[in-house]
Amino acid sequence: MNNLHIKTKGAFHIRVFKQLSWFLRLEWKTYALGIVLLIFVAGLELIPPRIIGRIVDEINRGSLSSNTLWMLLGGLAAVGIGNYVARFFWRYFIFGASIRLGRMLRSQLYRHFTDLDQRFYKKSRVGDLMAHATNDVQAVSMTAGAGILTLVDSVTLGTFVIITMITTISWKLTLVALLPLPIMVALTTRYGKMLHSRFGVAQAAFSELNDKVQESVSGVRVLKSTGEVDRDVDSFENLSSEVMAKNVRVAKIDALYDPTIFGIVGLSYILSVGYGAVLIEQGELTIGQIVSFTAYLALLTWPMLAFGWLFNIVERGRASYDRIERMLAVKPEIQDDRMAATTLAHSEVEVDVRHFAYDETVVLRDVHFRIERGKTIGIVGRTGAGKTTIVRLLTREYDVKDGKIKIGGINIRQVKKSLLMDKIAVVPQDHFLFSDSIANNIAFGRPDASMEEIIEAAKVAEVHEDIIRLPEGYATLVGERGVTLSGGQKQRISIARALMTEADVLILDDALSAVDAKTEESIIEHFRVGNPEQARVIVAHRLSAVEHADEILVIEDGKIVQRGRHDALLQETGWYRETYDRQQLEAIVEGGGHDEA
Amino acid sequence: MKHDVQEWQVIKRLLSYATRYGKSLSIAFVFLLIATGAKLAGPFLIKVFIDEFVTPGVYPTNWVIALFAVYMVLHVSAIVFDYLQSISFQKIALKIVQNIRMDIFRHVMGMRLAYFDRTPAGVLVSRITNDTEAVKELYVGVMSTFVQSAVQLIGTYIFLYILEPPLATMGLVLLPLFWLIIWAYRRFSTKYFAQVRDLLSQLNAQLNESINGMGIIQQFRQEERLIRQFEETNEAHQEARYRNLKLDSMLLRPIIELLLAFSIIGLLGYYGVLSMSEQVQVGVVYAFISYIERIFRPVLDIMQRLSEFQQAVVSADRVFKILDTDEPAPGKQMPGEAEITEGEVRFENVTFSYDGEVDVLKQISFVAKPGETVALVGHTGSGKSSIINLLTRFYPYGSGRITIDGQPLEQFEEQELRQRVGLVLQDPFLFTGTIEENLKLFNPNIDSERAREAAEFVQAHTFIEKLDAGYGHVVGERGATFSSGERQLLAFARTVARNPKVLILDEATSSIDTETEERVQTALDRMRRGRTTIAIAHRLSTIQDADLILVLHRGEIVERGNHQQLLKQNGLYKKMYELQSGQRLMS
Repeated sequence: MNNLHIKTKGAFHIRVFKQLSWFLRLEWKTYALGIVLLIFVAGLELIPPRIIGRIVDEINRGSLSSNTLWMLLGGLAAVGIGNYVARFFWRYFIFGASIRLGRMLRSQLYRHFTDLDQRFYKKSRVGDLMAHATNDVQAVSMTAGAGILTLVDSVTLGTFVIITMITTISWKLTLVALLPLPIMVALTTRYGKMLHSRFGVAQAAFSELNDKVQESVSGVRVLKSTGEVDRDVDSFENLSSEVMAKNVRVAKIDALYDPTIFGIVGLSYILSVGYGAVLIEQGELTIGQIVSFTAYLALLTWPMLAFGWLFNIVERGRASYDRIERMLAVKPEIQDDRMAATTLAHSEVEVDVRHFAYDETVVLRDVHFRIERGKTIGIVGRTGAGKTTIVRLLTREYDVKDGKIKIGGINIRQVKKSLLMDKIAVVPQDHFLFSDSIANNIAFGRPDASMEEIIEAAKVAEVHEDIIRLPEGYATLVGERGVTLSGGQKQRISIARALMTEADVLILDDALSAVDAKTEESIIEHFRVGNPEQARVIVAHRLSAVEHADEILVIEDGKIVQRGRHDALLQETGWYRETYDRQQLEAIVEGGGHDEA
Repeated sequence: MKHDVQEWQVIKRLLSYATRYGKSLSIAFVFLLIATGAKLAGPFLIKVFIDEFVTPGVYPTNWVIALFAVYMVLHVSAIVFDYLQSISFQKIALKIVQNIRMDIFRHVMGMRLAYFDRTPAGVLVSRITNDTEAVKELYVGVMSTFVQSAVQLIGTYIFLYILEPPLATMGLVLLPLFWLIIWAYRRFSTKYFAQVRDLLSQLNAQLNESINGMGIIQQFRQEERLIRQFEETNEAHQEARYRNLKLDSMLLRPIIELLLAFSIIGLLGYYGVLSMSEQVQVGVVYAFISYIERIFRPVLDIMQRLSEFQQAVVSADRVFKILDTDEPAPGKQMPGEAEITEGEVRFENVTFSYDGEVDVLKQISFVAKPGETVALVGHTGSGKSSIINLLTRFYPYGSGRITIDGQPLEQFEEQELRQRVGLVLQDPFLFTGTIEENLKLFNPNIDSERAREAAEFVQAHTFIEKLDAGYGHVVGERGATFSSGERQLLAFARTVARNPKVLILDEATSSIDTETEERVQTALDRMRRGRTTIAIAHRLSTIQDADLILVLHRGEIVERGNHQQLLKQNGLYKKMYELQSGQRLMS
């Protein structure tokens, strides 16, 4: 029963080589060369023990002539050098292939990531995605390198050595000497299992410690204000000691390996020398043969150990490759129609949404409006009213089922997504900047843009003055490893970035929230003057941002409850006017109570 | 060169941790010596067996048995002591890492808050856990390998000298050769290894950034360009790994094996030539071959650990950098023992700046008499929170004076201050653990009963009782399952359980559901009774009965008085009040 289980499990492990067969086929020449060299080395390794045994025998008999000696030593030197060269090349071939596999998988994953849509990214955690491209790729690449090597090497070397021992020395001695080795395999396998489980426990304790530190650092204000820092340190000490104790338990198993191997191999040696002496007495063997025999025995230790190790590598590789394959099988939810349009007559957008829901609850109902050339549409309403959903539909992050959105007279579901992206530029709420210079960030969508164009866009976005005040101006690095910019500066840079593309429709999705009202006004003014052909959709919290819009839509609970120009909306009682008054007052309070108007 | 010096400094400092374990280290070292000696005696005994009994073909039973017994005893003791030395070294290593971990954690937690504002939490966590873990690898794996390898190498040479002094002397030639190989390997591998590591982290950074910014990349249709960029790094990484691989293939195992082969050739040549003129005992040849092989293993071990070693030194360096950053919390700075009995809080012309350039508080003066409530109102950035940060002694202030019961703030012991001045934070951070543990928050002086009383006092009791397991309810996801009102009540209870004389309230900005809102109000009123209270209020309705309201704007007190007086002034306070009570401004 137990045996059967192990057998099927083994077959299961080896499956990873089948999964990797496309790569093995691709690199078959390298692998073939590597494996041939590996077998060649295994064969060469059989020679020195024989030569050593021969010399020892001749020394013992006192019959060594200097010709024989030099010839034999020359043979040893040739084998040594041959081994060195062959070893160098098989490593280079096999490990080189595994490095290439790592690179290919990483590329595949990266390319795949660029195909997946925002819906996928909202569902996934960055850490998990990263893990695929780092740990999993590494594990698979290790399987293709060390895994293959170990498999071939331990099998061929093991078989060669045992055959040589039996045929050239003595089957009886081989049998006796190998008796303790199964014990070693059994013990090390057992250790492996214990180590695995204890290591898991230690890892769990370590990640608990990690959480603890995270918590203490995040909650440092509470701890300090209640004066409990010292006690928190005590509780960290307890946890940390626990981690130590669990690591000691791991060490207790880990430390067993070397002595066990030494003990059992030593037992094999004493058996071979002892029983060998008996065989010498009986005239079946010479001392030299015993010396050769022990040298062969030394060669056997590695394949025995390697086998346990092999399972480990292959098991990890299989699990990782499964995860990578699952990842690569994910398809973007919105895909281009085969007949999708690749050109558009114009870029006027008509939105006719009768009904839209993410799941059960209705998010939008009866939203109809047009985005015409050169016109500005303002969309306002409280958080959660459905403003951002409208933007998501316009960019086809989600598709409308009941109703349609047309651009240039064609339903956007029949327009190539790349074309749609060219025509409609969105400046999102979260202004993500790359770890690069400010200039390159602005020119992100048009890497070939000239410096003049970049500066022009920065001026329109009212960020040029801020940039030239930075130590290295437009060459200043931003992003995670660069200088820290204020939220408003980041927003204005991302607006400049969007301006570079000269899309026909520009959507600002609450993109000016961290910019003060005055700057906001002049940015919007720049838009109107700078590119009179462009249509604009401004989604905002602050009404001053949409004051000059040609049409303002007030969204509440997914419906358009008010629409019209600013002046007209102010005359109506309703959300718009209430909000306008409140924001006026807010502005006064922010200014310290002085009514500037 | 400079780099080497720095590396050496780090190692020295790491080793200084080991000196605390001198005794255990000596014991471990003795174990190591015994194990090594016993191990190395094996081939020597086999040599005796071959030369004395096998070659002549005579087997005196007693001697053979004696020899076998000695061999077995040595063999078993080698196994036992090898295990003992290994486990002892590992235990010491783990203890040292535990020490380093405690040092850095204690040090970080003792820093002033400004340090935490500046340093991302992720960085600190990574220093305290991951980097110390890398140091653990250094101690457990690398250093013990180095010690063991060195002892084995020396021991082996001793046995060679016992066997055949002239040959052993010739064997010494190997030492400079080893040194040369290690030196060459290290010289190139340091560079290559660093390249691989840098490119890998660059690769991961690019990947991480692309995943985070994928929306932007797709929107601007720059997928192909970024794929090309990624490919470039990916290829550079591959090239660096090839270089590393070539170096490893040339200088690591294969060259050691080659050197071993030539050592054996030299050895056989020596005895071969010798055998032409005199009788050679073959047992010696056997023993020599065994020993020669054992010289090579430690060298290989050391070389294979070199890259780990460099990695760990980098981590250790980062840990030490934090240990050397000295920004302690303000703490007690004046002699004398001060006590808080009444709870009178006084600010006199206090000025404060976070960065030393822009003053966020200018000439702030006010008095909160025992039992009174002083409310701070003002727009975001007006300086309300800074006043609290100073009173809780989280930040040191510039000029002026802050006193409690007439004694300067700097004169209080940490314990006294924290016990008598209770802060209720805007977002009450809840720790992993049960509700009760969160109320006690590690303090052993607060028993379950007191925690329960506190919860009842602030009316948190009702909702806690409704949870499964009640006070034993385990808080999940940092308390995200509770409403903000419930979290506030828990924070109140936590403070009340400590029964402070002075209460500092940072009211939540987020809206609280109406049901809990009422309970929060009642709890606030009850808590304030008999305590001096300094409260930041976002909703003016909550502080209408305050004894003194300070209206702050850009770090200055622009209006002061009680609610009625301020309304009459018709200034900023009135505008704020109108804004909040929903009254429309006359247009």
